[in-house]
Amino acid sequence: MDSHLILEKIDSCLKDAKKHGLQKKGLTFPIDPALVEDDELRDICSRLASFFDMLNEAFHYSEQLAQGNLQVNASRANIFTMSLKGLHASLTHLTWQVNQVAKGDLNQQVYFLGEFSNSFNDMIDSLREKQILEQKLKIITDVLGEGLFLVDSDGKIIFSNPEALKLLGYTFNEIEGALIHIGIFKQLPDGTIFQPGENPLCNAIQIGNDYNESNGVFTCKSGFMIPVMVSSRPVYKNDTLDGAVITFRDITEQKKNLETLETINRLLEKQALTDALTGIHNRMKFDKILTSEIQRAQRNNSILSLIIFDIDHFKQVNDTYGHSAGDNVLIRLTRLITCNIRVIDFFARWGGEEFVVLSPGTGLDGVIQLAEKLRGKVEGYNFKEPGKITLSFGVTTFHDGDTDTVLINRADNALYRAKESGRNQVQYN
Amino acid sequence: MKDVYNFNWDDLGDLSEGRPNLGGETSVLVYRLMQFTFKDIFSKELGKKKTLELFVKAGNIAGKEFCINILDTSLQFNDFIADLKEKLVALKIGILRIEKSDDEKRQYTMTVSEDLDCSGLPIFDESVCDYDEGFIAGIFEEYTGEKYNVNEVDCWATGDRTCRFEVKQVEN
Repeated sequence: MDSHLILEKIDSCLKDAKKHGLQKKGLTFPIDPALVEDDELRDICSRLASFFDMLNEAFHYSEQLAQGNLQVNASRANIFTMSLKGLHASLTHLTWQVNQVAKGDLNQQVYFLGEFSNSFNDMIDSLREKQILEQKLKIITDVLGEGLFLVDSDGKIIFSNPEALKLLGYTFNEIEGALIHIGIFKQLPDGTIFQPGENPLCNAIQIGNDYNESNGVFTCKSGFMIPVMVSSRPVYKNDTLDGAVITFRDITEQKKNLETLETINRLLEKQALTDALTGIHNRMKFDKILTSEIQRAQRNNSILSLIIFDIDHFKQVNDTYGHSAGDNVLIRLTRLITCNIRVIDFFARWGGEEFVVLSPGTGLDGVIQLAEKLRGKVEGYNFKEPGKITLSFGVTTFHDGDTDTVLINRADNALYRAKESGRNQVQYN
Repeated sequence: MKDVYNFNWDDLGDLSEGRPNLGGETSVLVYRLMQFTFKDIFSKELGKKKTLELFVKAGNIAGKEFCINILDTSLQFNDFIADLKEKLVALKIGILRIEKSDDEKRQYTMTVSEDLDCSGLPIFDESVCDYDEGFIAGIFEEYTGEKYNVNEVDCWATGDRTCRFEVKQVEN
C-alpha cells in the first residue's frame, strides 16, 4: 500500500467524520498498519491509529462529562483528555462543595475556577449572612420572655423556644409534632373543652388569620392550666400558607396584680368616702347620697327628712380632757347613733362635731321622734370622759322643689334655733 | 558537629531581617532544582526506593510543623480544611480541592493543582509528589493525633492535570 492510497483512505475517513460527526462508533483508522509494507509508513500509520484512539476516547470522555458522569475515566497517556481531566477534577470538587453547603458547611471557598468561583463564593457569602441572621433570630427567641411556637398549617408543633418549654413543663421531644389545639390550647378558662371546629386558634391557623386572645389558658404537661395572653400570625412559603408563629405570655402575675390593684382602688374609694376617725360616711359621700335621695324623692313624690346635730360645748371637752378624749367621744357617739337608726338611714359626719342623718321614707313627725330618741339616748349615755354630753338637733323634711342647699340650710337654721334656745333640744323647720 | 540534626521551625530564620530586599519568596524553579537534585543524588547514594521513603518522611515532618506553626488547630474540621485551603493558596503552595470526604471513616480524596513539585512537568510513567504525600499526612496526623496514609493516585507527571491524593486514617 503506497502513501497516496493511505492518504486517500484517511482523507475519506476524515471527510465522513466531518460530515456525520464521530457518532457512537467514533473514528476508525481506515488502514491496518500491519498490512503496510514500508517500515516508515507503517510506524506513521501506527502513531496515527493511536491518535485516532485517543480522539475517540477524548470524545467519549467529554460526552460523559457533559452528561454529568463524574465516574468516567480516561487513560493517562491520552494527551487530548488532559484539559478535560482538569475540568473533571473541578466538577468533582464543586460537587463536594455543594454537598458541604447542603450539610451546613459554609466555610469553604472555591479558588481559581473563574466565574464558577465568583458565583459560588457569592452564594456562600449570601448564605453566611442568612446564617448570621438565623443565629440572631435564634438568640432573640432564646432570650425572649415569651413562649414561642412555630406550627405547620395543621397546627403541628415544629419549633418551640426555651421559654415555651419552661412555662409548659415539656421537653421539645415531648411536644414535637403534637397538635397545639389538642394538647395545649384546648379549653376555655372555665375548663370547657373546645368542641370540634370551635377552637379559635386552630381555625385561625388553618385559615391563615391573625388571632389574639388576652384571656386564654394553656394546659401544661402537669395538667394544670396557666392563664395566657396569646397571639398567632400566619406564615407563608411561596405565597402558600405554611403554618403560624404563636407567642404567649403567662399572665398569672399580671392577673394577681390586677386583683390587688382592684382591691387597692376599692379601699382608696372607701377611704375617700369615709371619715377616718369614726369610720362613718364623710361629707363627700353625704353630698352624693343627698343629691340622689332628693332626686328620688322628687321623682317618686316620696318623703325624705334630714337631721343635723352637733355636740353641745364640745370645745370644752377638748380643752378640759384633751383632743384624744374628744376623739373618743366622737367615736362612741357615732357607734351609739348608728345603733339607734335604721339601716336605710344615712349617717355621716358633716364636719368637726356636726353630724347629719338622712332618713328616707320619714316625715316630719317621724324625724322629730327619731331626733328626740337620739337626743335622749346620748343624754343618758355615760361617756368615760367627760361623762355626760348633750346634743342639739335641727330637723326638716323635703319640700317639692328643694335643692340640696335649700334642704340643708333649713335644717341648719333649725339647729341654730336649738342652740339659741338653750341646747339639748330638737327644733324643726 | 552533631551526628544528628533535629528540625526546628526557628531554624527557618527571620526572613524579614535576613532578606529585607528580596523578601520571603523565591521561584518555583529554584524549589524544584533543589528537590530534583536531592532526588538525583540520594537515589544514587541510597537507591530510589529509600530516597522516596526519605522524601515522604521529610514531607511528614514539614506537614506537622506547618500545621503547628501556620494552621489553626483549634478549628472544627470543616473550618480547619477551609483554613488549610486558604493558607496553601496564600503561600502559593498549591490549590487544594476536596473531591470526596467521609468524615466517619476519615477518608478523603483531594486534589492539589498548580502544586510546587510537578505541575507542568513532562509526562513520566510514575507520580513524583512523594514529598507532598508526607506533607499532607503530617498535617492530618498533627491535627487529629491519628496516623494517616496518603497515596498519590494521579499526578501531572502521569498525564493528569492535577495531583490527586487518597487520604485514609490508618486503623489502629
